[in-house]
Amino acid sequence: MSFFRVVKAELHKYYVQQFVSYRTAFWFLVLPFGNGLLYYSMYLPFTSTVVQFSWLGHNALVDIVGFTLLGQLLYTFFVGVTLAGSAFDTERVQRTFEAMLLTPASRVAILLGGLVVATAQYLWLIVGIIPVFLFYFHLGIAVADPLALLLSLFLTYTALTALGLCLEAFFIQTRKGILLGTTLQEPVALASGVIVPPSAYPTQIALLTYLIPLTLGLISVRLTLLAGGMLSEVLVPLATLAAMTVMFLFLGRWLIARAETIAKANGSLALF
Amino acid sequence: MRTFLRATIGSARISTIIYWRFFNWTGFALRFLSPLLSLSVAWILYNVVYHQSTSTSFKGAANSSDYFSFVVVGSAFFVYVVSTLFTLGRVMYWDRAQGVLETIFLTPSSILGYITGRMLAAFFMATIDLLVLFGIGYALGFQVTSFNAPIFLASIGLMMASLFGLGLIVNTITLIFRDRVNTANTLTTLILVFSGVVAPIRLMPDWAQRVGALIPFTYAINLLRASLLSTESGAVNYGDLWYLVGLTSVYLLAGHALLIATVKTVRKQALYSHI
Repeated sequence: MSFFRVVKAELHKYYVQQFVSYRTAFWFLVLPFGNGLLYYSMYLPFTSTVVQFSWLGHNALVDIVGFTLLGQLLYTFFVGVTLAGSAFDTERVQRTFEAMLLTPASRVAILLGGLVVATAQYLWLIVGIIPVFLFYFHLGIAVADPLALLLSLFLTYTALTALGLCLEAFFIQTRKGILLGTTLQEPVALASGVIVPPSAYPTQIALLTYLIPLTLGLISVRLTLLAGGMLSEVLVPLATLAAMTVMFLFLGRWLIARAETIAKANGSLALF
Repeated sequence: MRTFLRATIGSARISTIIYWRFFNWTGFALRFLSPLLSLSVAWILYNVVYHQSTSTSFKGAANSSDYFSFVVVGSAFFVYVVSTLFTLGRVMYWDRAQGVLETIFLTPSSILGYITGRMLAAFFMATIDLLVLFGIGYALGFQVTSFNAPIFLASIGLMMASLFGLGLIVNTITLIFRDRVNTANTLTTLILVFSGVVAPIRLMPDWAQRVGALIPFTYAINLLRASLLSTESGAVNYGDLWYLVGLTSVYLLAGHALLIATVKTVRKQALYSHI
């Protein structure tokens, strides 16, 4: 019970501090909309208006509007998660970090609260960007297996949230959490297939990109939402996403405990 | 005039020294992440995904079929926009944060000269970034197919003048509204999307073209591409040149007027202080 009270309190705190702010509007509305349009426009100089991407022998042709829109939607969630990952940095700057760790509140609950906020902030994007693409750019949707689509969305969400938990626990060990979170964005955008399909890379590199949960999430959501993919076609990425969720949760929990012990021993909880 | 020049040179010199004194390789490398992403995507789309099959509308709009070179020029010159918004656009904001804004205003030197010096230093550093990006572009297949020196030099000069005007406007906004990153981030995104850095503006929707028409960088980048990449004679659209001259004048006048108003407001309302 106390676990969920901590999550709720964190949620309330971030709602008051950040939800209605220009910073949030920029990261969750202006930037994804701008990037979506930017990457969509990068396809305009070419003769074809579709993108081909492959996954374990399955090939799909997807319209560039849906391809770039879904890329941006999931990528923005990833960005939100990495930004939430720097939450402890913010606490340290506000000089509340030490006090927070003195409370008996569950560390995992604190981090989970921040990640729930990242999801809530995502509403800005859902409300703002989807209608524009659906009605202005006439996004073509082809769902053949709703269960496969639901599982794809759910497991992508859980895997990315668990990854965020790990990142938060990792960033606590450094004072460069925000820098690291920002640095991750462009390389992940390129490698995970947000803008170009991973099948455009040589096989060995493409295999490496499958270690990023965002890559697998993009494959399964694009296949099930835009190309009429069935559950059997996305079973491998979904199983991998489920495994990643469990692994990242345990890793995150272990990292938090370890990071707290080290931070207390080194006296690095305070700002100076 | 003498005071203006001395203030300009002094400010540029100090700004450059401080930049190199606190130079770090991590920050330098991080600046290239975004343009490198654009270059990488352009290279993959052009060479791997679509096997260099650009559409006739692209060839008509760009006077060339080489999409990768098109993006290299756009991304390389975009470093001046980033420099304008994140350096020039926040000169007084950071001066106030460091507690030196009041001292600067108390000196009898020219404020315009002071800001001009900061612009020169910022653009000098941006030129290094530009050369690095062109170097990376060459390594990946960027080709200059023509060089129209008068148009190239005119468009560079006008681009810098218009960006200086924009920088003065942004400087006022960031100082008055105490805004560290939001204005700079938003304008960077808007200019990147609507000025045709990665695709000819003519291929974009009508409303996007109308937004792009208000940005001087759109015309500057068109002219720079025409002077470096065109494969046909008569590729330079002189209409772009006149639009650029007009918009540059508007931005410079607006920027200068806002600078004067800002100095007056800061003095009247005692906005020197960080608190």
